[in-house]
Amino acid sequence: MNNRRQFLKAGNFLAALKTGAAADLQAVSAPGGPALVRPLRIGFVGIGGRGTFHLTTCLSFGGVEIKALCDINPDYLHRAKRYVVEAGQPEPDLYDRGPSDWLRLCERQDLDLVITATPWHYHAPICIAAMKNGKHAATEVPAALTLDECWELVETSEKTGMHCLMLEQANYYPVMLRLLNMAQLGVFGDLLHAAGGYVHDLRFVKCDPAEEPWRMQYEFNHNGNLYSTHPIGPIAWWFNINRGDRFDTLVSVSSRSGSNNSYVAMCYGERHPYATMPMPQGDSNTSLISTVEGKTVTLHYDTNTPHPHTTEFRLQGAKGIYSGNLEKIFIEGRSPKADQWEEFGDNYREFDHPLFKTIDTSKLKTGRGHGHGIDTALMWLRYFQAIQNGTQTDIPVTDAVTWSAIIPLSERSVAARGRPVDFPDFTRGRWKTTPPVKLV
Amino acid sequence: MSALPCRRDVLRTAALAGVSVASSAAPNASPKVLRIGMVGVGGRGTGLLRQLLRLDGVNVTAVCDPIESRVARAQDVVASAGQPRPDGYARGDHDFRRLVDRNDLDMIVNATPWQWHAPISLAALRSGKHVATEVPAALTVDECWELVEAVERTGHYCTMLENDCYDRETLIILNMLRAGLLGDPLFAEAGYCHDLRSVQFDTVPNGEPWRLDHSVRRNGNLYPTHPIGPIAWWMDITRGDRFDFLVSMSTRSRSLREFAIKQFGDDDPRAKLKFAQGDSNTTLIRTVQGRYISLYFDTSTPRPKEEMMRFQCTKGCYSALEKKIFIDGLSNRNEGPDWLHNPQFEAFEPYAKQYDHALWKARGSTAAGSEHGGIDYMEMYRLVKNLQTGLPPDMDIYDAVTWSVISPLSELSVANRNRSVDIPDFTRGKWKHRPAIDPDAIL
Repeated sequence: MNNRRQFLKAGNFLAALKTGAAADLQAVSAPGGPALVRPLRIGFVGIGGRGTFHLTTCLSFGGVEIKALCDINPDYLHRAKRYVVEAGQPEPDLYDRGPSDWLRLCERQDLDLVITATPWHYHAPICIAAMKNGKHAATEVPAALTLDECWELVETSEKTGMHCLMLEQANYYPVMLRLLNMAQLGVFGDLLHAAGGYVHDLRFVKCDPAEEPWRMQYEFNHNGNLYSTHPIGPIAWWFNINRGDRFDTLVSVSSRSGSNNSYVAMCYGERHPYATMPMPQGDSNTSLISTVEGKTVTLHYDTNTPHPHTTEFRLQGAKGIYSGNLEKIFIEGRSPKADQWEEFGDNYREFDHPLFKTIDTSKLKTGRGHGHGIDTALMWLRYFQAIQNGTQTDIPVTDAVTWSAIIPLSERSVAARGRPVDFPDFTRGRWKTTPPVKLV
Repeated sequence: MSALPCRRDVLRTAALAGVSVASSAAPNASPKVLRIGMVGVGGRGTGLLRQLLRLDGVNVTAVCDPIESRVARAQDVVASAGQPRPDGYARGDHDFRRLVDRNDLDMIVNATPWQWHAPISLAALRSGKHVATEVPAALTVDECWELVEAVERTGHYCTMLENDCYDRETLIILNMLRAGLLGDPLFAEAGYCHDLRSVQFDTVPNGEPWRLDHSVRRNGNLYPTHPIGPIAWWMDITRGDRFDFLVSMSTRSRSLREFAIKQFGDDDPRAKLKFAQGDSNTTLIRTVQGRYISLYFDTSTPRPKEEMMRFQCTKGCYSALEKKIFIDGLSNRNEGPDWLHNPQFEAFEPYAKQYDHALWKARGSTAAGSEHGGIDYMEMYRLVKNLQTGLPPDMDIYDAVTWSVISPLSELSVANRNRSVDIPDFTRGKWKHRPAIDPDAIL
């Protein structure tokens, strides 16, 4: 059995990475580049649009071997198999025996990492099975849907020594990293407030069988912020959450529902059962989160109303404020005009995260399937480096579950008329001594 | 007693006629002369006074302020408008009582520091005058109920001068809602985010140093009515819907102290003040019809003034900050697999032209140039016109206290670790049957 310590000792996976930052990228991004002492053997569970994006992104790194693929949809399986073969690798084994066949995959002896890109409620069970079988686990967001799952992920990771990686690529957006750098340099002064949101009209995604119809099911048994991690990930880094500060309380309020019913009626007719079936999930949800150090977060979630995609990002300190919707900023004493926004894009390039000086991002490749940009590739590079070097991942399991826990906590608050809900401390006190996130 | 019909008369007449209050105007009645006493003639009161003096049928006969020079300035302003020099009241903080006791006033306009709003309004109502108060109408839940009861008992009006309800965009959105373009309101995010550090510390002309004490003692949303007013009109609050409960959260306090240290030095007593008010407050308000509002309050941090207003309805959404709108079925929606770029915002301007409100079409050029982009003129114009024609003000006491009570309730929530707090139904059930604001009646 392949536990992390043995793996690291035998180690030197992606050995070239150790020779210096500039060589890192070359080693991992160019198939046929420097040979890796030991390949990273990966199994995929869920290779629809998003899983395929991860698969093809991973295939762009040298030293990655895709050994096994699992999905309930044979079309997805064979498409993924073709991508693997086209990349010059041997045919992977396919797991197609129904919705729990991922258990067989996790039990294989020859895997180092299991990547999960399934519907949400499979994320935690698959990660836990993978770690218990001595594999690192990587999961699409959210890592968990319940507090019990959150704790079980933390405990399983700690007990087995396996990583539980949450694939939150938003933390690697260049703008988010620039803001992280500025926050850590004190440009905003003492940080006070941040806002963010997942405001994204996904009604057609829930109704179109070719997209992600499985998302619809959560409308029937949840009401809260069901997709917290994209906005909270970057904010948690800015705010040193679990690294000197931690989330304290959460309150959450939802609007009534109804927009999905109307949309279903429009797509499938008024006599479709979903056109009238009660859907508890409110069309729009807003949660407020306080930290023990006195910062606050406003978090929006709305995938049901007609609205162009917005992130609603905002970062505010005692010295200035950034507005994501405006892509503008004001820093007292630095911005040229009192009381007036200035452009963020060009005027603050000097604060681009130093991580980008160590990486030739032009060599990072974007995958095929559902996704865009190189942020996901950058995230994978960081994760591969951490696995290879035996270092802590940028987003440890405690972050993964802290960001995901907003889902069940917001549901509790909504159900109790906005009652404040205490945040669990998944670090068990280690937040007090853990230093801020450091990428270089 | 006032020469004007009181609200009960209007309601009775309306009921007899079987028509709604809004349509019970007597359009041919010649404007009566409205006799007004001003209490509080600092920067804000004097600004309102100037707007009043532009209107026909308004006599300002008394002005009151504890600062004599301000009284003199206000008297000059009235005199230079061609009216007789009004009587001045400057014998201390309580001299407003002598003013409201006069028998020759129809309405008191109240533009004092916040803590004086409710006491002066109550005194005016009890002396048989209508009163128009600056925002907020009250600072405590008790004051809110006292105002409601005084209005119901005396039959006189208490309106709140919420000028943002007359903002051009506010009324355009109201028109669009009534035209069915946006569907039904679900959510609004707005705020009063305005760097008032120098106003609070009185380092600028027309400073309002009395605000600082509120930042020392209180912690919540201290100034909710500007963003709430327009949203309440859009969401039919007290008129078909009502606020149910709120939760409120504040950040720590940093910016006022840092400002004082920078301005006055470490040793200045102002640099040693401890502020209870968190720099940024967020409050969520839920309505019984399933809508909600996310409301910011921040007058402490360095930031450009922001027209923060995001309004989400079942058929579309509007962003005041970006001057953009999206309407399902009208705005561009790309088909195809790119999730991120399907619905697309479009400019608000063409809609603004098409749905421009009659009040602005008729009086926009007259209002132009007045303070706050014309809305101060509009609010005074509407107030005076309604009273002269025997109609109730656009905003009544239930609106005034429902919007103002957000302050004390948010303080209660913040002080209790963001506990949710029920919002009183000041209408005592009447919200179910009160007609929605009719934009066509605002002329």
